[in-house]
Amino acid sequence: MVTEKITIEPVTRIEGHAKVTIHMNDNGSVDHAYFHVNEFRGFEKFCEGRMVFEMPSITPRICGICPVSHHLAAAKAGDRVMGVEPPRTASLLRELMHMGQIIQSHGMHFFELAGPDLILGFDADPAIRNVVGLIGADPELTVRAVELRAFGQDIIYQVGGRRIHPNFAVPGGVNRAFTSEKREHILAGLDKAIETTQIGIQVIKDWADANIADIEKFAVFHTGYFGLVTPENGLELYDGDIRLVDKDGAELEHFSAQNYLDIIAEHVEDWSYLKFPYYKKMGWPDGVYRVGPLGRLNTCDKLDTPLAHQEWLTYRQINDGKPVYHTLYYHYARLIETLFAAERVRDLLDDPDLLGKDILNRKHDFKGEGVGVIEAPRGTLLHHYWANPNGQLERVNLIVSTGHNNWAMSKSVDSVAKTYVKGPDVQEGMLNRVEAAIRAYDPCLSCSTHAIGQMPIAIDVIDSKGTVAKTLVRD
Amino acid sequence: MKKADTLIIGYGNADRQDDGVGWHVLKNLAEKLGHTIPEDPGASIEIEDELVDLLFILQIFPELAQTISQYKRICFVDAHTADIKEPISWKTLAPAYEKSPLTHHMSPTTVLSIAATIYGSTPEAILVSIRGYYFQFDRELSQKTAALAEEATDRIWTWVNSSL
Repeated sequence: MVTEKITIEPVTRIEGHAKVTIHMNDNGSVDHAYFHVNEFRGFEKFCEGRMVFEMPSITPRICGICPVSHHLAAAKAGDRVMGVEPPRTASLLRELMHMGQIIQSHGMHFFELAGPDLILGFDADPAIRNVVGLIGADPELTVRAVELRAFGQDIIYQVGGRRIHPNFAVPGGVNRAFTSEKREHILAGLDKAIETTQIGIQVIKDWADANIADIEKFAVFHTGYFGLVTPENGLELYDGDIRLVDKDGAELEHFSAQNYLDIIAEHVEDWSYLKFPYYKKMGWPDGVYRVGPLGRLNTCDKLDTPLAHQEWLTYRQINDGKPVYHTLYYHYARLIETLFAAERVRDLLDDPDLLGKDILNRKHDFKGEGVGVIEAPRGTLLHHYWANPNGQLERVNLIVSTGHNNWAMSKSVDSVAKTYVKGPDVQEGMLNRVEAAIRAYDPCLSCSTHAIGQMPIAIDVIDSKGTVAKTLVRD
Repeated sequence: MKKADTLIIGYGNADRQDDGVGWHVLKNLAEKLGHTIPEDPGASIEIEDELVDLLFILQIFPELAQTISQYKRICFVDAHTADIKEPISWKTLAPAYEKSPLTHHMSPTTVLSIAATIYGSTPEAILVSIRGYYFQFDRELSQKTAALAEEATDRIWTWVNSSL
């Protein structure tokens, strides 16, 4: 019998995008836990009536966390709607900008959000379990971490000419050619970025060795895995077909993103506004899958850059060559992808076509409908537009990365709560583990507002009559 | 960027109505300085001036610590909700890390904390926050917030000139 409900509700945005409720049994153990998302889906309506060529500059404002991913997905959807193939130089430049986004986002997540838990400990004093505490523990690494993110941001700036709200990719290509000076500027910081990433990889591997018992009981469950691949099934972050594999790594589907509606469907639960995508053929919930770093490294058969590929081989040994299903290994996978992105930056900078001047294809063959797909840092992002013959959008469907992981995040919360939370006297370290289960996926829940008035995390212990029996508050 | 000793950082999402009040305040200040910026709310603002530098960003990020460490005075401009009673809140800030458990969200005091810890810099810092009433997908401020933005602009302008 459920007697108490514990709610973890970080209201860091106006809508209060997510909360966790933990339902306790009489005996102080967890009966079940939910991860609720109150996502604001109004952005699709906001986009209706806009011109397709406006979308690359409108959609980055969905959030400040992955603006480049939305920018590029919108441009790619625009390519399809307008029936235009970008010149090779434009595609290279778009990919270079995207690698900057991967580096900055992954770098920030590992070193500034997840790292303090891992390096300082889940049970460390919350007052020091943060990047400032990390500075005390390892000042050189922390400075490097800030520089790594800045390096990624600088790539975005060098390519796109703006630090925020990129206005660079357009249907048919890009609006700004690259220069050899910018190429040299980025190259100058690349070796250090790679070195910092490798240090981070060693940090996570050392941590994993020392904490293997935690890893093996922390949100461990099987799913399918989903992500873009190259034609040879290598890791792909900018373009390509989508591959879906099962828990053992066997290929279930290999399809063009244009056909995503034939492959995936969305399930609805009454306790979350965010839908739950799943593989249609397997049905709900057997067809659930994961995206993002773990999903991608489980979906591909190789990485086409040498250092990252070598590290990926080590990663795949964790489960004897089969997909790695331990949620905490998301962090390891994320850093391998960072390494891949940094190496890919070098490949792109070394490509002579990058400095080409043919950056925009103006020959359109209007199709009226198109899907743009990209691997955002946190997973596969789909923009689907339907336009009238004037190019004005009549319908927009966005499947955001975090949506794909919705079931997995909720399952992780439930699993970790049952493993670690012992009530009703819930300790901070227990709650931090529940948060860490979500944090592993690096979800983007912010559709964009962040006014002052941030509330602390409130943990309400509610009895079966709806009375608040206890409230814990953490800043 | 670094031309002046004072930096004003507006942040928020100008597509979410009053959440973007920081952009509108910066636009007002830019006009007082004689700079022209795009009419499109939310467009990039990165202005260097002898008197004050202006920067608009969607959200605060860690490497901003390096930027602010180069200034003597920082003014953050944001929206606030009903949790804060004053229509215009004027707070002196001290470095203090605030954890954001699930998101990449970062507060002004957090980035000040990083600036102090990494760069040993503790500029005088204030947060001017303005009451937001509506947060829909719209680029126009609500009437009440628009009026407050004008008032806040004047007060910040006085503050900027107070050190001359």
